Amino acid sequence: MIKICHLYPELLNLYGDRGNIIAFVRRCQWRGVDVTTREANLGDPVDFSDTDFLFLGGGSDREQDLIAGDIKRRRAELRSAIENGLVVLAICGGYQLLGQYYRTGDGRVIPGLGLLDFYTEAGGKRLLGNVVIEVMLDGALVRVYGFENHSGRTFLGETEPLGKVLAGNGNNGCDGWEGARYKNVFCSYLHGPLLPKNAGLTDHLIALALKRRGLDLPLIPLDDRFEKRACKVLQDRLL
Amino acid sequence: MPSVKTAKVCYITGGTAPIKRIMAIAAGKFVCWLSRLSGNQGSSLPGLVARRICPGILVELAAQVHRGVVMITGTNGKTTTGNMIAGVLLAAGYKVINNREGANLITGVTASFVRKSSLWGKIDCDYAVLEVDEASFPGVTAEVRPQIVVLTNFFRDQLDRYWEVDKIVGLINTALQKLPGTRLVLNADDPLAAQFREKTGLSCTFYGLGGFERRSGTGDRVREARFCPFCGAPLVYDNFYYSQLGIYKCSGCPFVRPEAQVEATEIVLGPSSTTSMVVYDHSRVLLTVPAHGLHNLYNALAAFSAGSALKIGIESIVRALENYVPVSGRMEAFIYHGKPVYLNLVKNPAGFNEGLAALLNGKERSKDVLLAINDLDADGRDISWLWDVDFEVLAETGRLSFFCTGRRGEEMALRLKYAGISTDRIGLSRDMRAAIRKALAGTGEKVYLYTTYTALWPARKILSRMAVKGNYDQNLPSLS
Ligand SMILES: [Zn+2]
Repeated sequence: MIKICHLYPELLNLYGDRGNIIAFVRRCQWRGVDVTTREANLGDPVDFSDTDFLFLGGGSDREQDLIAGDIKRRRAELRSAIENGLVVLAICGGYQLLGQYYRTGDGRVIPGLGLLDFYTEAGGKRLLGNVVIEVMLDGALVRVYGFENHSGRTFLGETEPLGKVLAGNGNNGCDGWEGARYKNVFCSYLHGPLLPKNAGLTDHLIALALKRRGLDLPLIPLDDRFEKRACKVLQDRLL
Repeated sequence: MPSVKTAKVCYITGGTAPIKRIMAIAAGKFVCWLSRLSGNQGSSLPGLVARRICPGILVELAAQVHRGVVMITGTNGKTTTGNMIAGVLLAAGYKVINNREGANLITGVTASFVRKSSLWGKIDCDYAVLEVDEASFPGVTAEVRPQIVVLTNFFRDQLDRYWEVDKIVGLINTALQKLPGTRLVLNADDPLAAQFREKTGLSCTFYGLGGFERRSGTGDRVREARFCPFCGAPLVYDNFYYSQLGIYKCSGCPFVRPEAQVEATEIVLGPSSTTSMVVYDHSRVLLTVPAHGLHNLYNALAAFSAGSALKIGIESIVRALENYVPVSGRMEAFIYHGKPVYLNLVKNPAGFNEGLAALLNGKERSKDVLLAINDLDADGRDISWLWDVDFEVLAETGRLSFFCTGRRGEEMALRLKYAGISTDRIGLSRDMRAAIRKALAGTGEKVYLYTTYTALWPARKILSRMAVKGNYDQNLPSLS
């Protein structure tokens, strides 16, 4: 049984975030793996050590402010769960929240959780459009497709990037990196949503979650023709 | 006007208590939902409720519009002009709020913001395009500051409420005096609209018709401004279009039809479209508006002028106007070989969900469903919103066959697959014509087409060639 927790769905709900949960759930179900999903909002109790997959979606500055206080109280528990291999997917606002800080346009600094080493600064022009990145998954380079829409520019410190930008802007539009990755934590500006089209990445997350539960088995392959066709549209257009 | 006063107090004291704002928005949204549930558009009631709870709600929400507010007022053409301007801005890639449903009183304007607001009172849009009832104009402008005001024309209209045209003109003039820096877009051919340049001293863009000879003498009867609005002397017309619209000059003072910066010449009125050469800024561009009549040409010229005042590229404006959808595509009915076909425009999850409800209703055994999804600027380049539409509800009925097309038809097909619909019920074709033909030729008893903005017009064109326009339930056309 895989337990999914969708954190702050009421506040962090960029268009399509739900699609990431749908994809994760379906690909478990199609393989006969039981899944439960629970939503946790401000103040709701969450046991991270009893969670297999944590999802944090996108939001804007205003929402981040509201969440900052709540998530700070959960920091220690979340940190130890991450160190113990909790699988996390954080998109856009959720991604920024895990870093050191977010500096707003008027110079205000919103402290992040500091779980990963990167920081974000508000930028002028929004970075917006379809994106292709190249991600290393289990020793193989995999192309990941999505859509970005963010004004924040993220700069990585010690933390590794999720992938290399092949088309689009990525973290800040200048250094060529997209997202961040630490242990089983995957951060990205890509929505679109990210998981449905990118079946390889989704399966990687499922495999990591199962492995943490002691089920280190290769996943049953699925028919991914629809996923491949959806990716090919962007591949043909952008690459 | 007590509401205006309260709003100002609210504003000056630095905003409402957040909880009040949230309550107002939540209540407004709840009423939206309730009235939609009862099958009624209920476009102004949510605004009324929200304003009762938080009188400053419109001030707070409208202040968040990133780039500016365009207001359209006047007697005729407000809705069409507003929709055309919104179309121009959307095609240029901006996020736009507009009160499309024609809810043009202050409550309706408030409702359109409440609907677009997050529960926390956040508005994310570049422009608001607001059709404003003439009598409501002073009240609305006291709370929302327009960057551009389009004055279409002034005719006799609803005399019971509007006293007379002069009073309306006076009311709008007084309101405009309080809006320095606003740019006016005025119909040069209407002396009642054109007079606002001199009256207000604001900078203006004029639009009008040049060199059009109207053959029939209709409209000669109800002339509102046969007399000069400045000196009262009779106006003399060189060219006369309808009502008081034409090329005029005053017989007693220097008042004369202003030179139009945006002028339509070589006008050809077709049965369902209007073509003209638009002369602007020493250039000429051919414009075909898919709507009949001089009034729609005026509306298009007003939108053209507003778009160019907002520095939108002329090509982009023309393309948007040529794609203008005259309030069709909302379950527009066709008949194909005796079976009903419905065409529906989808733009957001709420609308799509409403549209899908039709698939669950009815006793028909089976239905064919076409989904045409584009991701051009006017559709929204980000198609993530498809994942917020509840396609899952369709998985439970095994009586639907799907055909996906459009620039992102593949993503649509993927969405259906993850909604739990069996992949052998999902067809996919890049060619919209082929996809529509397949959907029409399906075994379903009804056909439903759902398209995004830029796919609507092509889909409609294809459909019009294959099927007959008409409502199956109301009048069966005789099949020859
Ligand atoms: Zn005069």
